[in-house]
Amino acid sequence: MIVVTGASKGLGRAICDRLIEKNIDVFGLARNVEDVPFASMSCDVSSYESVKVVVQRLKKEGFKVTGLINAAGIASMNLAVTTPQSVAQKIINTNLLGTIYCCQLVAPLMLRNKQGSIINFSTIAVALGLKGESIYAASKAGVEGFTRSFAREMADFNVRVNCIAPGPIDTSLLKGITAEQINKIVAQQIIPKQFKPESVADLVELLIDSRSDSLSGQVLHVGGA
Amino acid sequence: MSSVESVKSEVFSQIAQLLENKSLTVTDDMPLIGGEGVLDSMKLVELCLALEDKAAEIGFEFDWTSDAAMSRSRSMFRTAGSLAAEFFSQMEVKK
Repeated sequence: MIVVTGASKGLGRAICDRLIEKNIDVFGLARNVEDVPFASMSCDVSSYESVKVVVQRLKKEGFKVTGLINAAGIASMNLAVTTPQSVAQKIINTNLLGTIYCCQLVAPLMLRNKQGSIINFSTIAVALGLKGESIYAASKAGVEGFTRSFAREMADFNVRVNCIAPGPIDTSLLKGITAEQINKIVAQQIIPKQFKPESVADLVELLIDSRSDSLSGQVLHVGGA
Repeated sequence: MSSVESVKSEVFSQIAQLLENKSLTVTDDMPLIGGEGVLDSMKLVELCLALEDKAAEIGFEFDWTSDAAMSRSRSMFRTAGSLAAEFFSQMEVKK
């Protein structure tokens, strides 16, 4: 079973749909799972206790967890100097601490089986140093650093940890960003085109599969950076 | 398993199984982590998983990710004795 955070919409949902299509068991986490049509549970990843409750249920129900995909994330496109403290805190709590909490608490379920793949999510904004995304990029740069070190910690247990860093993918996360802004970012990618959630799902499918058992601690840029 | 001594014996037995040097005897003050610690990080995780299984057998959940587990000064992993004491304490509270 693969645990996917941010499963109710956007990339997380697209990833869940793809895995289910491939007959892979998915357990989705999101703050609101009312409209999630597969096994799921409400969870606020920025709360350690909330993630802990999920893990207790996974243990109790005896699920064999072989993967974790940390797709939950929030963005706020603002200059750092005009971003309220509460928003900065929320971005760090959800994107960075949320990823760390899920890794800390879900990984032991994989250590037991000495098998697993963890996929974290960063952004092309880290590599490109995009204007107006400094706090968001900072939270994701943290995820990249965490991914590389955590991959080493997990390697003895045959658990791989990688990070996908997409460019502007067509999801609700881009709400409020103009087409012009998106085009400007896309133009800086090595492959200057806006990719769809399906491209990210392709990469996820590869990273959870044993065909990628030589890859760990890597940051993979969708579109290239 | 209910007495402090039987819990200690079980925890020490789990530690002994993971020691590289099988001639070592597990004692209360045997350091588990740090400079003179007898367990590397991988063995430490294996020990936690083994104790988690043991706790499930007994009927409680062994929490090895609490603040007490992580604090260097009062970490439950300081010594074999402190780990056994924490395991017993959690058993008493949660059972």
